Amino acid sequence: MGKKELKVAFLLALRSLQRGSRSSVVLTVLIIAMCFTNMIFLPGLFNGIGQGIITQVVDYEVGNVLVGSKTGEQYVTDLDATLDLINGMPGVDRATPHFSKGATLKYRQRVLGVSVKAIKPGDEKFVSPLYTKMVAGSYLGEDDTGEVIIGQPVAGDATIKAEDEFQASLGGVRVGDSITFEYPNGYTKDYRVKGIYFTGWSSADNNVFVSWSDMEQVEGKPLDYADYITVKAKPGYDEKFIKDELLQYGVPGYVQTTGDLLEKSMGKVLQSFAIINMVSLIVGVIITTVVLFIVITIKTINSRRQIGILKAIGVDKEVIMHNYGFQVIIMALLGIFFGVILTALMGVYLAANPIVTPEWSATLYLTPMDYITNALILFFAAVVAGYVPAYQVSREDIQTAMRA
Amino acid sequence: MIRIDNLKKLYHMGTVEVRALDGVTLDIAKGEFLGIMGASGSGKTTLLHMLGLLDEPSSGSILLDNTDVGKLTDYEKTMFRLYKLGYVFQDYALVPDLTVMENVSLPAMLRKDRDEEQIKADSYEILQKIGLCDRRDHLPRELSGGQQQRVSIARAMVNKPDILFADEPCANLDSENSRMVLELFREINEEFRQTIVMVSHEDWHKEYFHRIIRLKDGKVVSDGVNGNGEKAG
Ligand SMILES: Nc1ncnc2c1ncn2[C@@H]1O[C@H](COP(=O)(O)OP(=O)(O)O)[C@@H](O)[C@H]1O
Ligand SMILES: [Mg+2]
Repeated sequence: MGKKELKVAFLLALRSLQRGSRSSVVLTVLIIAMCFTNMIFLPGLFNGIGQGIITQVVDYEVGNVLVGSKTGEQYVTDLDATLDLINGMPGVDRATPHFSKGATLKYRQRVLGVSVKAIKPGDEKFVSPLYTKMVAGSYLGEDDTGEVIIGQPVAGDATIKAEDEFQASLGGVRVGDSITFEYPNGYTKDYRVKGIYFTGWSSADNNVFVSWSDMEQVEGKPLDYADYITVKAKPGYDEKFIKDELLQYGVPGYVQTTGDLLEKSMGKVLQSFAIINMVSLIVGVIITTVVLFIVITIKTINSRRQIGILKAIGVDKEVIMHNYGFQVIIMALLGIFFGVILTALMGVYLAANPIVTPEWSATLYLTPMDYITNALILFFAAVVAGYVPAYQVSREDIQTAMRA
Repeated sequence: MIRIDNLKKLYHMGTVEVRALDGVTLDIAKGEFLGIMGASGSGKTTLLHMLGLLDEPSSGSILLDNTDVGKLTDYEKTMFRLYKLGYVFQDYALVPDLTVMENVSLPAMLRKDRDEEQIKADSYEILQKIGLCDRRDHLPRELSGGQQQRVSIARAMVNKPDILFADEPCANLDSENSRMVLELFREINEEFRQTIVMVSHEDWHKEYFHRIIRLKDGKVVSDGVNGNGEKAG
């Protein structure tokens, strides 16, 4: 195949698309665009859900690395020394402890059991962006005692009757109100609501937070132990690196990265996602292949005599094959181009209006690599689908073709 | 120019054997305007297809310009058609999605010995000759049958072939347009000493031919001026 032959093949292809049946071209391009979108949308959405969950787990649950108690022990002990040790390690932005205690909260007529979490507010701010999610009042100060911040679902809404609530609440607590906490050890205390927050991550929103100093009053002794420590890595440091470092230093606790935790809790879910993604990919590829195969087959069958004539006047069969090949390539490129635009537009729309549920919120999460991989897969499927009938018809002998 | 020796073509239709060509021997000289005449089914198209390398004989040989075309590979035949032969079909057979200019240039664009400039010049020249220069950007469907057939002749002539074949080029045309096409062939023949082999079954066409071959049941039954058996001088 020389340059001249390719040029002629391209000219024939281009003119056929420009001056042949417009509607068939538009329809084919549209179908390819739809297939591309279909192939990439669902996986993108699942990725978005996954990314959303990961971000929230990092932000509101574990940071980048979680140090839990050693197997067989209830708490991470020797807390101050351990925190100092971790905070001194390269790559660690901040380590901060968490300690929870169940309590019964009483407000007006309402009674609600919740988990009260003790945090060190100053350090916590480095690890969790919850302090940016205040919807009323303000965040905890370092040594606040008798003050609490509560999640919006716990605070509730005064306009909704208790029996109509989706989830039990205190029925409309406002900043400055007083709530009575009864701890299992018999300690009872009134707290002033300092702030109300809402993160969208339900397990965080169903908590209430008090300061470490306050919890020491509840426990009646200095708290040199914690349920777990959350560790935030400095930008550019990888979770795995921090984990290895912690293990090397012999941190007295059970060390897991967010990745480890997610794999345990979501491994099955991710597997299901992967299967659904694979199915949508295969369906997209098959539809595209079949459609293009049919379109090109019909085209070639309708122009068999034409092809015979071209051969008769000295056009080589390779030129004829590439003519149809180029038509497929052009339609596939256009289809993929519009598919990318369509998907990107949906991505923009979903970014502005995420699909929100109490458990997670999802946007479209697609990397350029996702676009490229899917585009290439679809493109090659299209080219194969087009070249098969093009090859066949181009090999037909002149007599058979001309008499068609 | 063309030497045909004992050419036979058999078609097998189940158990029936059709002798489309039954031992044709013929010499055609350079510059001749030859008419192949005969009733429908007499083998005219079959003969022309053999000469145009569009089909292979069952036996016998064809020498075009001293090349035994039976020995050429598929690709060599394609190149032979591109470089040395021109073909005009009954139904014009233009590419419907190409303009007049693009249709005419197409065979030239594939030739390795033609640059862009020459392709343009050659195409213009032949369009001028057929008198359709002003319609060069039109699509075939925007032209009349006679005009389309003239474009098809221009396409066959753009590479200045050694031999021009035409299979009943006037069959779809009225007599006025037929005359125009035949005049065009005559001009081309006289101006360029172009060898032309044309199939026809219209008796009045014979005034245009130098020499007429009459076929019947795949055999040459007469050969000469006006189909009378006398050779042209
Ligand atoms: N592909 C074919 N298969 C079978 N018979 C054929 C085929 N092509 C031509 N014939 C037969 O060969 C004979 C000559 O046909 P053709 O050359 O087309 O005649 P003409 O062009 O003079 O009308 C006819 O009897 C026709 O039916
Ligand atoms: Mg015929």
